[in-house]
Amino acid sequence: MRFMFKFPDIGEGLEEGKIIEWYVDKGQNISSGEPVVKMETDKVVTDIPSPKSGIVAARFGAVGETVHVGNVLIEIDIASISGNEAQAEARKEPKKTASETVAEKGFGVVGTIEVAGDGAYLPVSEEGTLPQEEKPGSLRKVLSTPVARAMAKELGLEINSIPGTGPAGRVTKKDVSSFHAKRAYLDETVSPTSAPESPQISIEKVPLSQIRKTIAKNMLRAKQNAAHMTVMDEVEVSELVKLRTMLKGKYQDKGISISYLPFVIKALTLALKEYPVLNAELDLEGGNIIYKHYYNLGIAVDTPEGLVVPVIRNADRKSIIELAQELASISEKAKQRKLNLEDLRDGTFSITSYGSIGGYYAVPVINYPQVAIFGIGKLTEKPVVKDGQIVVGHMLPISMSVDHRIVDGGEVARFLNTVLGYLQNPVSMLVQ
Amino acid sequence: MFDHKTLNKYKAIENKMYQVLDNEGKVILKDWKPDLSNAEIVQAYKDLLFERTVDLMAVSYQRQGRMFTYPPNLGQEAIHIAAGKVIRMEDWLVPAFRELGAWLAKGVSLWEIFLYFKGNEEGSKFINAPRMLPIAVPIASQLLHATGIAYAMKYNKENSAVFGFVGDGGTSEGDFHEALNFAAVWNAPVVFVIQNNQFAISVPLKMQTKSINLAVKGLAYDVPSVLVDGNDFFAMHDVLSYARKQALESGTPFLIEARTYRQGAHTTSDDPTRYRSKEEEEEWALKDPVQRLKGYLVRQGLWNPGQEDELIAGFKKAIDAEFEKAENFREYELDSVFDYMYHDLPDELKKQKNEYQNYLKLAKGGVK
Repeated sequence: MRFMFKFPDIGEGLEEGKIIEWYVDKGQNISSGEPVVKMETDKVVTDIPSPKSGIVAARFGAVGETVHVGNVLIEIDIASISGNEAQAEARKEPKKTASETVAEKGFGVVGTIEVAGDGAYLPVSEEGTLPQEEKPGSLRKVLSTPVARAMAKELGLEINSIPGTGPAGRVTKKDVSSFHAKRAYLDETVSPTSAPESPQISIEKVPLSQIRKTIAKNMLRAKQNAAHMTVMDEVEVSELVKLRTMLKGKYQDKGISISYLPFVIKALTLALKEYPVLNAELDLEGGNIIYKHYYNLGIAVDTPEGLVVPVIRNADRKSIIELAQELASISEKAKQRKLNLEDLRDGTFSITSYGSIGGYYAVPVINYPQVAIFGIGKLTEKPVVKDGQIVVGHMLPISMSVDHRIVDGGEVARFLNTVLGYLQNPVSMLVQ
Repeated sequence: MFDHKTLNKYKAIENKMYQVLDNEGKVILKDWKPDLSNAEIVQAYKDLLFERTVDLMAVSYQRQGRMFTYPPNLGQEAIHIAAGKVIRMEDWLVPAFRELGAWLAKGVSLWEIFLYFKGNEEGSKFINAPRMLPIAVPIASQLLHATGIAYAMKYNKENSAVFGFVGDGGTSEGDFHEALNFAAVWNAPVVFVIQNNQFAISVPLKMQTKSINLAVKGLAYDVPSVLVDGNDFFAMHDVLSYARKQALESGTPFLIEARTYRQGAHTTSDDPTRYRSKEEEEEWALKDPVQRLKGYLVRQGLWNPGQEDELIAGFKKAIDAEFEKAENFREYELDSVFDYMYHDLPDELKKQKNEYQNYLKLAKGGVK
């Protein structure tokens, strides 16, 4: 007869534990009360003793592995125990026809009575519970937190109509938001006549792509580590528009398309040399600022799979035409998913030109551990005042986020003045 | 012997602690004689060993997944066994939750304690222990009951005492102070015992209070108060006997701070290695109450340590039998959880009951 010793809930509402050390091997004799395994849980590191005597018939899980409460730790062959005791053991267990194995009773602790038996689960939906006797607009007194009440009011929801899941049926903030989401979804998808009795939201689970996972990780890392600060401004770029139009026409025949981006890159690399802290990295643990004497500009490219940021290496040494060619090449590679690691690494500063899709201003997230990201908004014609006259200007909005841990507002403003100065008067870039 | 003179000598305000035995079990007080017979002292030692064995096995049962939770008594047994010797049938015992040896002396069966910690309320009946309240997990609330009971006894002209237990953390609760104050102004015969085991779960005493000790807290209410070595069986027995005598003779309360150390975890959900050092544990291990009484007995030629293993093996068998009795006890009916508070069950409880019934249908091998 086999006894399956399952990892018991030894804490209050424990879910899992990690195996630190096994004390028994397969085939070994064990007495009840003797330690089987050392486990580390959220609360304690402790030995788990065996509840039965017998021979260890099987052992599950390796050192370092996480075991969920209810998973079998060891199988004990208790056939060898003699006489009355064995019969008593047998009597304790419910008769099973298909299997010889005997399941240990699961235990919670005071307050929780979840049992981790075979196929046991607590229903998470409201299936199987009594229907709430609810009349529309009933005036029953509802328990709720003040914040939930305020939220319901704001969303135009009747607090009485929201099922509460908190203590004593209290309506919580979470209840309000999930009720709201549920209703918004139903309003969208269900015609009023076909509204079902108990609405169920249909959802679909799609596994994350590797690229999405990477973006999620990087964005979180940036937001958790850098002290983001964003400065927004706009610049009149009529001169740049003229210059670009001129060059565009000239190089069109050669198959080179020139956008505004090469000019922005040029302006940025020139300014970065004047303000090296924006092309640096903070080494907080070592207590250093690492200045980089190379200028690799990351260009955020929107692809169907998600955002990628290929890098233009040594951008400061490249001409407008070279930059234009390289931009065309990396964005093509990005779209065809042909970028390799070499194309993506070692960036020192990043640019996002969200404006080419839409949007004037943004709060871009830094490509951590870089210090700054420069965002280019949508170029538009706007009335501007020039020499006391209202004229049509070409306005380019920009948004730049920096890591305030390394650089302060004043320095950023000076840097931006320089960059925007170049963009306003592109000929001045030639002088550099 | 502990008397009025001794009480004056061991002033709590001067932080003096009453102690009879040193760490090796040698008597350090001049002209001190035990007021127990040799046979009683040997029995007390066996009781200490029994409580300790129960404790170790209870923790093991819990780790095997056979009991929900358990608060170990390890290191505090001398207080419990001394109290058990002093508390009489006609006295009331108002427990907190860590006085195992005293409960057993009062008549509680071991299987009832196991049943309680397995989550079955029938474990709180204490069939053979009249005049004992159920285990009280809320902190210090039980002391108000102790004072109330003592006041009622006085009103009924009963001549007995109430023993109320609390931990060091409990002395920061309002209930502790209200209970002391009322006991003092009403002249209620309550013996308050603070088991100062140095930690309120993980909060060390020095973060709990700025008082030089916990006994001084009684002085403000004009309750005679004394600091006692809680790991010293004789010291505890002397002071508890004196306190009971006072309660009976003059109907007055008394406060004892029993200074001890919780060698185990707060409960089986706690890991003390996270908040205290090995050095501290080793230092207190030298003052272990079982070792100290054993030292005394061996010195007096009253005990042969060679007989201990056999004794403990016998204890283990008896304890296992008690545990099996608790395991085979009838499961409580689900209805009993919902039946008694309301005549008509409110919607929320109806929902919970329904949910749980559905859950039980699904959970094979769940609560019977």
